[in-house]
Amino acid sequence: MRKLNVYQIYAPVKKESHWSYEALDKPESIRLDHLNTIQSPKMIIFPQREVFFEFHNAEGNTPVMKEPASEPSATVIFGVRPCDAVGVTHQDKVFNGDFKDLYYWKRRNQTILVGLACDTPPSPHCFCLSVGGSPHFTAGFDILMTELEDFYYVESFSKKGDTLINLAGDIFSTPKENSKKDKEKAHSDSEKKLKRHIKNLETVPPKLKNMFDSPLWEEESLSCIQCGICTYLCPTCHCFDISDELDSSSPLSGKRVRTWDNCQFPDFTMHSSGHNPRPDRASRLRQRIMHKFNYFVTNYQAYQCTGCGRCIAKCPVGIDIIEVLEKVRDYGK
Amino acid sequence: MENNHYIPKVARIINIKDEVEGARAVKTFRTQFTIDDGFTHICGQCAMLSVLGKGESMISISSSPIETEYLQFSVLKTGRVTSALHDMIEGDMIGIRGPYGNGFPIDKWTGKNLIFIGGGIGLAPIWSVLQTALGKKSDYGNLTLIYGSRTSKDLVFKEELREIKQEMAVHLSVDNEEDGWEEYVGFVPNNLLDKKPSPENAVAITCGPPIMIKFVIKNLQDLGFKDDHIYTTVENKMKCGIGQCGRCNIGLHYVCKDGPVYSWAELKKLPQEY
Repeated sequence: MRKLNVYQIYAPVKKESHWSYEALDKPESIRLDHLNTIQSPKMIIFPQREVFFEFHNAEGNTPVMKEPASEPSATVIFGVRPCDAVGVTHQDKVFNGDFKDLYYWKRRNQTILVGLACDTPPSPHCFCLSVGGSPHFTAGFDILMTELEDFYYVESFSKKGDTLINLAGDIFSTPKENSKKDKEKAHSDSEKKLKRHIKNLETVPPKLKNMFDSPLWEEESLSCIQCGICTYLCPTCHCFDISDELDSSSPLSGKRVRTWDNCQFPDFTMHSSGHNPRPDRASRLRQRIMHKFNYFVTNYQAYQCTGCGRCIAKCPVGIDIIEVLEKVRDYGK
Repeated sequence: MENNHYIPKVARIINIKDEVEGARAVKTFRTQFTIDDGFTHICGQCAMLSVLGKGESMISISSSPIETEYLQFSVLKTGRVTSALHDMIEGDMIGIRGPYGNGFPIDKWTGKNLIFIGGGIGLAPIWSVLQTALGKKSDYGNLTLIYGSRTSKDLVFKEELREIKQEMAVHLSVDNEEDGWEEYVGFVPNNLLDKKPSPENAVAITCGPPIMIKFVIKNLQDLGFKDDHIYTTVENKMKCGIGQCGRCNIGLHYVCKDGPVYSWAELKKLPQEY
């Protein structure tokens, strides 16, 4: 394992009440019996706060803007659940638009995602099968591990994955004759253990196109307290704010930073004049659903949802995205 | 890091003009990049202005691309960044990144009569097209401006309006009677109906408060203007300028990159979320 020391390694760590991805200093602390981590690995590749540049300006001088000197290091994120890897692929799409986000790609290009197929759902709210994923989905992974009797079946899907396997060569051996079949059986067994499903989700995006003015949004958002936890914990949500943090006002010095932002907050869209195109809870819940299941589907041919269930598990007032989507699906029937 | 578009270029404010005083003050800033040539823009595009320590604000570029000496921005004092801009003096430096957005399709307008309809600070985003059309007058048919504000003191570009009167039809208005005001009294959409520009071979370009735009478009339709011959610009809160931060999202569009310019034919298909 020493050869892997060139990598910064993140893996799920059990905290008192939850699991979370933490930077590991010793490989012995890795456990692979983890439930859904509180945050997805999005927080590592697209951190909640990052410095775009530092600025300095002494009175009368030309302002100086400097990018942070530290470069992101090669990183392995270990034990990633398939839904969370799908989330990373969705972020890739957004940050690879007409303009590439260089901050994101600097980190992303150096990140190796090592996944673990789910033998049982790591959350009672998992619904990956309904949104095009599965407990053993490979999208986004460099490596996927599947636990079998007394070993892991390991597949590599990229050069980065091959490199990692070669580095740690002696811990791997050629699969036994039946291993591939066993793996496939483990995969199909895991699908049967999923408890939550949305039937006919494919009917929702076309239906949403005509539901902008529906009273459903008002009804479904009545209990929302606009805490924003649903989007902060979402592995696909990418909206952000850019603001300045001052270290000193004279001489002027500080940082321009990007921080996650949230479409559920009233001032997300509020103009400085006070005018707000999304003035109420209904319009903001509508935006969350429309963006994930209508706009994103048209723009990127995928649901902007991975079925990880975090927004359901952590919503303090019990708003359940599966129920909302079912109501959309059945609306007017 | 190459092409990091989040790092603004430094520009010097070479001229500041007070356009409107008071609670809704407007100032016009002319800026020059300090080191490189900066960028070239097309009419209707915007740029992100930085006041370091305060933040950024997306402002339309009100100078024409044919003006190569400076970039011009007319800024209504309304929030943290625009207030900081208003506190600046000539010689101060700001950051500029951009240009952002699609701009007006003026190449399609050759030979057409152009009717500009503005309200208040809404003259700024269409001013670049108007200046371009005036600069290349032989490329276009008749030029008309219908422009108004609450009071005569709230009109922007007062001097320039007097000058362009020599070259094109200018119809001004104020909302209420004022001593010494000899032009139209009433709202801009009503002045539009009063002047009745012909839709024949014409394109209408409008910008102003949302409520004004709404009635201007309705009245243009009543005058016979087709939906794809009516253009306006949409304003939404913006941070990144490249369709990623999410807040200017309207349906499939991000106003910062897919807008801000829309024909009414395009805009009426989008959700009413602006």
